[in-house]
Amino acid sequence: MTLAENLFENLRLELRRGCLTLAVLAQLRQEHYGYTLRKALAERGLVIDESTLYPLLRRLEVQGLLTSEWREEDKRNKRFYRLSSDGEQMLGQLLQEWHAINASINSIL
Amino acid sequence: MELLDRYLQAVKKHLPWQRQDDIIAELRANLESQLEDKEAELGRPLNSGEVEAWLKQMGPPMQVAARYQPQQYLIGPAVFPTYWFVLRTAFLWALIIYSIVSAVLIVVKTPSGMAVLEAVLRVPGVLLTTAAWVTLVFAVIEFAATHYPAKCPAIAGFSADWSPGTLPPLEKEPAPGKKRRSYAHAVAEVVFGFLFLAWLLLIPQHPALLLGPGVAYLHVSRFQLAPVWVQFFWWVVALNLLQLGWRCLDLWRGSWQQPRPIQHIAIKAFGLIPLVVLLNVRDHAWVTLKHPALDQVSHGGTLDSINHSIYVSLLFLCAFAVLQLVWEIGRRSLEGYRKRAAAMR
Repeated sequence: MTLAENLFENLRLELRRGCLTLAVLAQLRQEHYGYTLRKALAERGLVIDESTLYPLLRRLEVQGLLTSEWREEDKRNKRFYRLSSDGEQMLGQLLQEWHAINASINSIL
Repeated sequence: MELLDRYLQAVKKHLPWQRQDDIIAELRANLESQLEDKEAELGRPLNSGEVEAWLKQMGPPMQVAARYQPQQYLIGPAVFPTYWFVLRTAFLWALIIYSIVSAVLIVVKTPSGMAVLEAVLRVPGVLLTTAAWVTLVFAVIEFAATHYPAKCPAIAGFSADWSPGTLPPLEKEPAPGKKRRSYAHAVAEVVFGFLFLAWLLLIPQHPALLLGPGVAYLHVSRFQLAPVWVQFFWWVVALNLLQLGWRCLDLWRGSWQQPRPIQHIAIKAFGLIPLVVLLNVRDHAWVTLKHPALDQVSHGGTLDSINHSIYVSLLFLCAFAVLQLVWEIGRRSLEGYRKRAAAMR
C-alpha cells in the first residue's frame, strides 16, 4: 500500500466510523441478531466486517442504546438486539446532526 | 466444524474472562448462521480450504478479541498534551538538578576525569527514571479521570480554567542580521547558571577553586580578608539566585525569547548592592593584618596602600555600575516612550 493509499484508507475509516454507529442504530429499530443485521446493512450497501459489527453491538448495549435478549430461533440460541428508548432518543439527535452535516457538505460542494 | 471450534477457542483465550462464554456463544451463533448461508448458496458443505479462507477473512483471533475490549489508554488523548509538556519540563529539570548535584559531588569527593565520565554515563538512567515516574503519575491521573469523572472533574476537564491572559508574550522578531534567542540557548544559560552557583557556593570550603595554587599564599601571608567579604559573597550569591530564578520563570512561562526590560534594570540595580556593602566598610579596612600587634610597624604601610587601591577600584566600579544603570533606564524609557507615541499615532 502506498503512502497516499494508506492515508486514504485512514481517512475513509475515520469518516465511516461515526456513520456505522448511526446506521446500526437506525437498522435496529427492527430487531435483529448479529448476522441478520450485517446482512440487512450489506443489502443496503453498507458492508461491515464481523469483527467490527459484533463488538460494536456490545458497546452500544453497554452504553444503554440497545437492549438484547437470548432467544432460540431455527434450533439455535441467538442474541437479538433492538434499539432501547434511550437509543431512540439518541438516534433522533444523531440524525439531526447527520442531516445538518449533509446539508452543509452539499452546499459546500 | 473443527476449524471453527479451534478459531473460537483461540478468540476466547484473549477475551475478558467475565464475558468470554457469552461473547463466544454469540459469535458462534453468528458464524454458524453465516456458514449455513454460504453452504446453502453453494448447495454443498464448504471444504477445509474454503473454511480456512473464510476464517482468515475474519481476522486473527487476538485482533478479533481485542475489538471486544474497551479502548484502553495508559495516557489518553485528553491528558496526553499535558503529560508531554510535563515530561519535557521534568527532563530539563532532572538534567539541571543532576548536573548540579554531580558537579558538587565530583568537586567535593573525587575530582577526576573518570568521575565525570561516570556521571555522564548515568544520565540516560536518570532520564529513564524521570520518565517512568512522570508516566506513572499520569497513568494514575488518567485512571482517576476515566473511572471517577464525577469525583475528579478538575482532572477530567484539565484545561477548563485556561485563560488567554496566561499566554506567553508575542515573540519578538529578531533585528535584521541577528539570530533569534533559541530555547537551547535559554536552557544552557540556566544549566551553566546553576553550575556557576554551585562553584560559587563551594569557594568558602575550597578557596583553591577561585585562587588555584595561589591559595597557599593565604596561609603564609601576614594579611587576611576582612569579614565584610563574607557579606559581599552572600550578596553575590543572592544576585545569582535572583538572576537564575528569573531565567527559570521565563523558561516556565515560555517568555525566554524576550526577557522583560524590568529584569535587566532590576538585576543591574541589585548588582550595586554588593559594591555598596563593600564601600561602606568601616575605616576602608578590606584587608587586615593577621597579627596587628606584631606586624603593624613592618607591614602597616603596605596594608594602607592595598586598602587604598581597593578603595579607588571600588569607587570606579561603583561609578561605572551606576552609569550603566542610568543608561539602561534611560534607553528603556526612551524605547517605551517611542512605542507609546507610535501606538497613539
